[in-house]
Amino acid sequence: MTALPARPDMTTPDGGSAEPPAPVPHRVLTALLTLAVPAALALVVVAVAAAWADDLPDLVAVHFRPEGPDGFGTVSSLVGWTVGGIALAALVSWALGTFLGRTGMIRRIAAGLGVGMSVFLGGGSLGLLAIQRGLSDPSLVGDVDPIITAAMLAGVAVGALAAWAVPPDPYRVTTRPPPADAPSLPLAPGERIAWVRTAGSHAALGIAVGVAALLLVLALALRTASLVAPLVLVPVLVVALTQVVVTVDVRGLTVRSRLGGPRLSVPLDEVVRADVTVVAPLREFGGWGYRTTLDGRVGVVLRAGEALEVERTGGRRLVVTVDDAGTAAALLNALAARSRIA
Amino acid sequence: MLLRIDPASTEPLFAQIGGQVRALIARGQLPAGSRLPPARELATSLDVNLHTVLRAYQDLRDEGLLELRRGRGAVVAATRDRTELQAAIDSLVRTAHSLGVPPATTISLVKEALR
Repeated sequence: MTALPARPDMTTPDGGSAEPPAPVPHRVLTALLTLAVPAALALVVVAVAAAWADDLPDLVAVHFRPEGPDGFGTVSSLVGWTVGGIALAALVSWALGTFLGRTGMIRRIAAGLGVGMSVFLGGGSLGLLAIQRGLSDPSLVGDVDPIITAAMLAGVAVGALAAWAVPPDPYRVTTRPPPADAPSLPLAPGERIAWVRTAGSHAALGIAVGVAALLLVLALALRTASLVAPLVLVPVLVVALTQVVVTVDVRGLTVRSRLGGPRLSVPLDEVVRADVTVVAPLREFGGWGYRTTLDGRVGVVLRAGEALEVERTGGRRLVVTVDDAGTAAALLNALAARSRIA
Repeated sequence: MLLRIDPASTEPLFAQIGGQVRALIARGQLPAGSRLPPARELATSLDVNLHTVLRAYQDLRDEGLLELRRGRGAVVAATRDRTELQAAIDSLVRTAHSLGVPPATTISLVKEALR
């Protein structure tokens, strides 16, 4: 991925670590997507349920077993739980996007989570009510699986759409070279240089094998052919997403999964400084994977130990666990310094 | 792995890339089974033509240092341990330095001996 083209209207000079971090951007849009959209969906659920109230039995089926419904409740309690669930998803995603959303990817995840969960919960409840309209006895209700599947797919699709609608971070360049105490390495004039390293998690490989074995046992025991797809898909996805290729070159830092995407990048113009750090995944990030912390660090944390930490304009920080991070940090600082002298 | 190329050098770009990968493998910094970056990505990173990187990879494959597989990319092949050779080269370089023999002369002597 090449660095974003400089757009003068979006480019703000940034002094880097010496100045206070810029506020989390796009907070209004975050509130719109994570609070207003779920609130509207909750209102739709309430309004539609009220409009259907006369056609519905006094008690509707709300819980199901493979043989049929086994739990019943009033329409208002179903609506109440649905609205409560939507409110919880909305608040959690709003807090995520508003307080931790310095990096565009986090705001995307927040918007996708808030909108997607609301569509899933609201759509699922309305679907559940729709198939019970006109029934005198809710235990005669038909198959609920297609409703839940459709609600889930709609949630994923609309959530993805919301995530896509979130604008990326504004492009903030810094013209200040990395501080003198940052690691660096000598570059010859005109030299082209690149550092590439694969980083991965051995534990994830073990988990992938374990999950595959478990699915195989389940598929055989239950004679369920539909488990064969996840049997192949889950380990492939686990391996693909937990093995990343880290590149430092004249474009900056790029981290991409073995599948080619998702990918994260820090354009060279946005690098304030790069350093080596040591990561304790549980204590600092609360686990492994694509993580964010309360102080706004975003991490690709695949194992404990050596990691590259890049301080980026706008108060953003990216941590990637990778071997030989010292060379990567030194090269990133050296390239940043070279690009800012001219 | 860290790769540097100098466009001003008289040595062709593909030879510079190949030479550095060869040295990394010989020094054990790229053990057997390591995966090299896809040629397309390395070409973008180093701002060279895709065919320059492919040529370097193909030369290394012809030497038996790399395996190129469709879909899997370039993987370092299992070769015999060359640390002994590296040690001999280090000692050759030291001796040449201490005797004041210029690098071009040393290279010519080695080339002659390998013929």
